[in-house]
Amino acid sequence: MVNYIIRRLLMVPLLLFGVTVLIFLMLQFLSPVERSALYVRDIPKNERVLEGVIRKYGLDKPMYVQYWNWLVGIKDQSTGKIEGGILRGDFGYSRTASQPVVDMIKHRFPATIELALLAVVPVLFGGVFLGVLGAVNHNKFIDHFVRIFAIVGWSFPDFVFGLLLLMIFYATLGWFPPGRVSDWANQVIQSGQFHSYTHMITLDALLNLRFDIFWDALRHLILPVITLAYLWWALTLRVTRSSMLETLRQDYITTARSKGLAEKVVIMRHALPNGLMPVVTLAGGTIVGLLSGVVIVETVYNYPGVGSAAANAAVSLDVITVLAFVLLNGFILVMMNLLVDILYAYIDPRVRLD
Amino acid sequence: MEDSKVVSTSEHLLEVKDLTTRFDIEGGQVYAVNGVSYTLDEGEALGVVGESGCGKSVHALSIMRLIPIPPGRIEKGEVSFKGRDLLKLSDDEMRQIRGKDISMIFQDPMTSWNPVLTIGFQIMEALQLHMGMDKVAAHARAIELLELVGVPEPSLRVDDYPHQFSGGMRQRAMIALALACNPSVLIADEPTTALDVTIQAQIVDLVKRLQQKLGMAVIWITHDLGVVAGLADRVNVMYAGRIVETGPITEIYKNPRHPYTVGLLGSLPSIGERTGERLFSIPGEPPDLIGLPKGCAFAPRCNYRTERCWNETPELEEVSPGHYAACWEKDKVRKMQ
Repeated sequence: MVNYIIRRLLMVPLLLFGVTVLIFLMLQFLSPVERSALYVRDIPKNERVLEGVIRKYGLDKPMYVQYWNWLVGIKDQSTGKIEGGILRGDFGYSRTASQPVVDMIKHRFPATIELALLAVVPVLFGGVFLGVLGAVNHNKFIDHFVRIFAIVGWSFPDFVFGLLLLMIFYATLGWFPPGRVSDWANQVIQSGQFHSYTHMITLDALLNLRFDIFWDALRHLILPVITLAYLWWALTLRVTRSSMLETLRQDYITTARSKGLAEKVVIMRHALPNGLMPVVTLAGGTIVGLLSGVVIVETVYNYPGVGSAAANAAVSLDVITVLAFVLLNGFILVMMNLLVDILYAYIDPRVRLD
Repeated sequence: MEDSKVVSTSEHLLEVKDLTTRFDIEGGQVYAVNGVSYTLDEGEALGVVGESGCGKSVHALSIMRLIPIPPGRIEKGEVSFKGRDLLKLSDDEMRQIRGKDISMIFQDPMTSWNPVLTIGFQIMEALQLHMGMDKVAAHARAIELLELVGVPEPSLRVDDYPHQFSGGMRQRAMIALALACNPSVLIADEPTTALDVTIQAQIVDLVKRLQQKLGMAVIWITHDLGVVAGLADRVNVMYAGRIVETGPITEIYKNPRHPYTVGLLGSLPSIGERTGERLFSIPGEPPDLIGLPKGCAFAPRCNYRTERCWNETPELEEVSPGHYAACWEKDKVRKMQ
């Protein structure tokens, strides 16, 4: 098990190297002038000054030099200060957010995490639960219902679904407003009395014992969470269902039944751990998918997370910001795969002991 | 139907009467088991022989009530075990019998163990469920059981996962699992088919030895008449969901009266046979259960068939004491020389 984990951990730097190389290569499609946004806040209009900037930050140097500078930053000869360098957490300046990319991410990421985490709950539990329910009641009414639910979810584009929900529950019924919190709640949060521990408002509100704010934040989250979750919920459900159907046909399930075990035990203890293996694989991808899904969902619901910032940046051709978002997702993808591999070893002794 | 054969309900450990199991599939209904009746006494070893698809496994799963419903359905019949009709028990009552009074070994030891649970855990499950043991006692008993079936170093191997066992060892452990709660009937569904020949013989010997030691009755399902020879007291020969011949093992070998049994015996290789001679095989294919002929299901492949065979289904009739055959021409049928 330990060996296995060490081997997986050793893969992580390699994968991250691959991710950075790919993103760096994408940066090369920009002109040196555009790339100077990695280091300076305002791109100078004056050509002379501009040339100075390009030379100073080595934007005319060979690619490998630029890659190295991009990773570790470049030292300003006059002040001795290091500028840029993604390993230092400097991703350049976001034109659309009017602040350094890293500040934008710090500021907006908690909102996105809050949205994605809340979406994971219905995806994993609703998807897995309904999937198992469908498989166990194969071809009965509940199974047909679950299948229709999944097919609709899987074939509905999330922006259409989001707008539809917004139309019904906000425009017509007025139940769930867009945005992140109501103005009054925002004022409380900005005031000194409210401690922002995590910057996830639902969690902070609970920690501050402000249940009114918790409820307000939740009301704002419900529609985006459903929109974001539905697609992945449906996919998880389908994978769980078919995998459980397959597992329930296995010989060892007959063995378990022939022992006289109750059907509940057969399903929970014998079928589920085997049936969930493909779902674990999918779960890593689901979390990454949710984080990309936020681009559309946050835009539809005017929700201030990194997704809507990335969408803004994309339409204004603020490539530096977009690529930082891609880099962030790439990093999360690698980490999720690591987590999935470790979980696999935990569930399956054949992986653990080989 | 063959009431002459049935002496009295109470005398037998297990009595199967007119068991009929149907599968609803696309294109119609298939009677995988079609009116099977027989009895099994305490400590008796019964062989059930037939080609694949003849209903021998389905009949065993029907007794255990492990047929997937749907598409399967036990349409009618009675399985009386110690005087109780298993087919009429509630699910809970049936669960108390499964694994405790009647247990089963399956064909493929590679796929019959849950890959994510240890061998020991899977044996302990049965012990904790039926014998009321706690974990410690069940673990100790699992080690004893593994020792009983000849798994070397059982105290170490008990916590191994199935993939760490070889095929033969897995089947031995499967026998340990089946015997865990001292069942009175052990159903072995082709337990040697997936194993190497040398391992096959070991497993047959093991079951035979344990049967003598523990005194349980065994139903040994196989397609190989050779395997049953050294093991069973009686044999049921099944074809297309029916028992076509039944009797004491020596009678069946010496004096087969159904052409299908004759064919099965003829296709066994024997030592001392002239070399270079082609091994006999029954002509034709095992029957397609969807389009069975109106009369005898074996008629299309039979050398003895007459006009009557196409139209009327023969019932089991006694040919000598305890020996029954279902064939219109049974008086003419003789073993191949």
